[in-house]
Amino acid sequence: MTAVALARASCIHCGLPVAGGAAFCCTGCEVVHGAIAEHGLDQFYALREASAPARTTAHDYGELGDPAFQRVHVQVDAAGTAHTALYLEDLRCTACVWLVERAPQCIPGVADVRVDLGRGRADVAWDPAATSLPAIARYLDRIGHPPHPYRGVERDALRRREDRALLTKLGVAGAAVGNLMLLAVALYAGLFGGMSRGDAGLFRWASMLVAVPALGFAAAPFFRTALGALRAHRLHLDLPLSIGIAAGLGWGSANVIRGVGEIYFDSLAMLVFLLLVARWIVLRHHRRASTAAELLLALTPSRAHRLARAGEPADAIDAASDTATEVPIEAIVPGDIVRVLVGEVIPVDGDVVAGRSTLDVGLLTGESRPIDVAPGAAVHAGTVNVASPLGVRATAVGEVTRVGRLVAAIVAMSGKAPIERLVDRIAGQFVAVVSTAAVLTLIGWSVFSVASVAAGAEHAMALLIVTCPCALALATPLAVTVALGRAARRGVLIKGADALERLATPGTMFLDKTGTLTAGKLAVVTWRGDVGAARLASAVETGSDHPIARALRAHATPAAPAEQICEELGRGISATVAGRRIAVGAPAWVRQRSKSHPAVEGWIAEIAERGETPIAIASDGLIVAVAGLADPIRDDAHAALDRLASLGWEIHLLSGDDARVVHRVGAALDVPWSRRHGAASPEDKVAAVTAARALGPVVMVGDGVNDAAAMAAASAGIAVSGAAEIAIEAADVVLRSPSIADVAAVAAGAQATLATIRRNLRCSLVYNLVAGGLAVSGLIHPLIAAAVMPLSSLTVLASSLRSKAFRERA
Amino acid sequence: MTILYLILPLALVIAGAAVCAFAWTVRSGQLDDVDTPPRRILFDDQPAPRRAGSARAADTPR
Repeated sequence: MTAVALARASCIHCGLPVAGGAAFCCTGCEVVHGAIAEHGLDQFYALREASAPARTTAHDYGELGDPAFQRVHVQVDAAGTAHTALYLEDLRCTACVWLVERAPQCIPGVADVRVDLGRGRADVAWDPAATSLPAIARYLDRIGHPPHPYRGVERDALRRREDRALLTKLGVAGAAVGNLMLLAVALYAGLFGGMSRGDAGLFRWASMLVAVPALGFAAAPFFRTALGALRAHRLHLDLPLSIGIAAGLGWGSANVIRGVGEIYFDSLAMLVFLLLVARWIVLRHHRRASTAAELLLALTPSRAHRLARAGEPADAIDAASDTATEVPIEAIVPGDIVRVLVGEVIPVDGDVVAGRSTLDVGLLTGESRPIDVAPGAAVHAGTVNVASPLGVRATAVGEVTRVGRLVAAIVAMSGKAPIERLVDRIAGQFVAVVSTAAVLTLIGWSVFSVASVAAGAEHAMALLIVTCPCALALATPLAVTVALGRAARRGVLIKGADALERLATPGTMFLDKTGTLTAGKLAVVTWRGDVGAARLASAVETGSDHPIARALRAHATPAAPAEQICEELGRGISATVAGRRIAVGAPAWVRQRSKSHPAVEGWIAEIAERGETPIAIASDGLIVAVAGLADPIRDDAHAALDRLASLGWEIHLLSGDDARVVHRVGAALDVPWSRRHGAASPEDKVAAVTAARALGPVVMVGDGVNDAAAMAAASAGIAVSGAAEIAIEAADVVLRSPSIADVAAVAAGAQATLATIRRNLRCSLVYNLVAGGLAVSGLIHPLIAAAVMPLSSLTVLASSLRSKAFRERA
Repeated sequence: MTILYLILPLALVIAGAAVCAFAWTVRSGQLDDVDTPPRRILFDDQPAPRRAGSARAADTPR
């Protein structure tokens, strides 16, 4: 290698540097650039704000044209135009919107494409006579936005109705605030400048006419929740709010009609408006987090390749043949034979009828070692075929597969009972204190002063109104919104305020091993014997797709091209490299054809003892080296666990993998012996979590289907990056960055958020104490109330923005 | 100050009209997606070949 720098250029499509003057960084960019240029859409590059390497698949999207799919997802309107919603990958900026919405110019027959950037959704309308959905999908794929069926259409429609209702109420409350403020300013000015009784009466009546209908409409959600909580004999923060609002509106109207006494309409309108703003912001954040989680769900494969129908002869099935038809997964029935190519997920439970291969079952059981299968072996849906094509005869499909039953159990468990929120507990005590104080004020002023009962009532009402807990109601939503927003920016999706409160109190934390604390794929971690043999072993494994082969290839560069490769699936592989006969494989298999010696046997025993997989390498009939393969621990795992321990969490390892492997990882991460649980089935994991819940809060961190049930059973579940869809569904928190350090960040962030909530609650309680005291002593003036109420809300807002939650590295 | 008796109700009627207009914009779906339309105004070079029958995605039957 010379020190001369190669001529560097940028990829024409994505702008990444490419070596050696090449035009594109990858084939994805080349294909997408070609498609864009072909349709004359070069303006894309002028509009672009962000760029990344393009992704395309060569998929033909035949399943989108299937009648079964079309019946469910495609609507045809009266004019004969078909409509559907698609989820598009990689929608990032203006240029992507522009590119996708140009589709009608590029494919004849497409009437309209409308993109919703926030949801990654495109609404497509086309003429079924002129084009087809698969053709449109192929076009979208070629311009770098692989489409998927959008599975949340009904949920989207429901949410849109809720959002619109809340937004209307927000608008009405906002207009009421503005107008009532103007009227109130006139009244206050009149107070000092002199105003005739008649004019004041006009303004008071106008205020009432605006406030009562507008606030009655806008505050309806609070009244409804308060009534519901009362009926269920539960306390809710909306109860004191409703009492305050109702008392204010009622007493104010009575005073307008009587012509004397204070009105509080402007303060009340401001209160309702601020509360609705808080609610709206929280809702938007929730929506964003849950849409993102759903989009991940929408990315699951929904198709299978059928080789033969049930009843057709199974002999002479060639797993690698091209005769398979692509059908939606719903069309497969037990007895059908499906083809599973390398890298594909097995879609059904069944028996292998053709081909030999290796399966990665980690997602289902947590085992890190690949499993070899041959004809006759039982395989489960959800496992990944990693070595060579297989023909599988389905025995169970859909919900009755092992993974399907697991999923059903998880969904049944996921509906967590709502926790008693801190703020609702305070609200209960608050109602009791304020109403007692109001009654005492009424009695006190009536009995002990020269003033009449009317004055007592006036002061009692003032107390109810000025202590209406606006700041109290804002305390939690504001703190949570700030936390969720900051967390989302660093790739942590938190599904709501409850999850944060559940994570805030330290307790027991169970961590899955495979894919969570470890990288989730095999790598060479130990090498004994001739170091040079690594490059020979790498050369021998060049053609193989076995996980062990991949690990050896990643460990060293091939020494020379291999010839006469002879692979025995599940045992080993031999080949001639640079004139030497090299055999690489399981020690037992290599020993049959090569000589061993005591030192080698020592290495093999030592590696096996540590829970690693020993692989022997023989050169010309003599074993020269032994490699230990294992799933390496993530770099940041140790620091993350230390941080969690310092936050007060008790760390346990809970894995479906072999006990020796779990002990090896536990020892490396300083987890005490008694807190390492190996060989745990999904059911064992649920049992462990349930047992620990009796002692306090339990958090389950994992990625696989085997962890999902435990996540649902725990007080909170965290799914790490690359998690299975069901784990994402069961989790309360989804991490999108591959770093395990974010688990610690989530726990710290939750604690910081709860601290902020507590501080907010203290602020608002102090305010209520002062304002309440003034009201009881009869010193409160509507002007003071009007000034102090927003002030307390602003204090809470400032306190929330100062929160330390998710601050670092954000 | 008798003019107040005319102006004040008039102002409230105008405010009411504004609220009604807002409610209409919400109901017709103009505020459903607030992220994409601000970007769409940047595409000004050629008229989009959008047909009248399918002008708004929110109105399409589904």
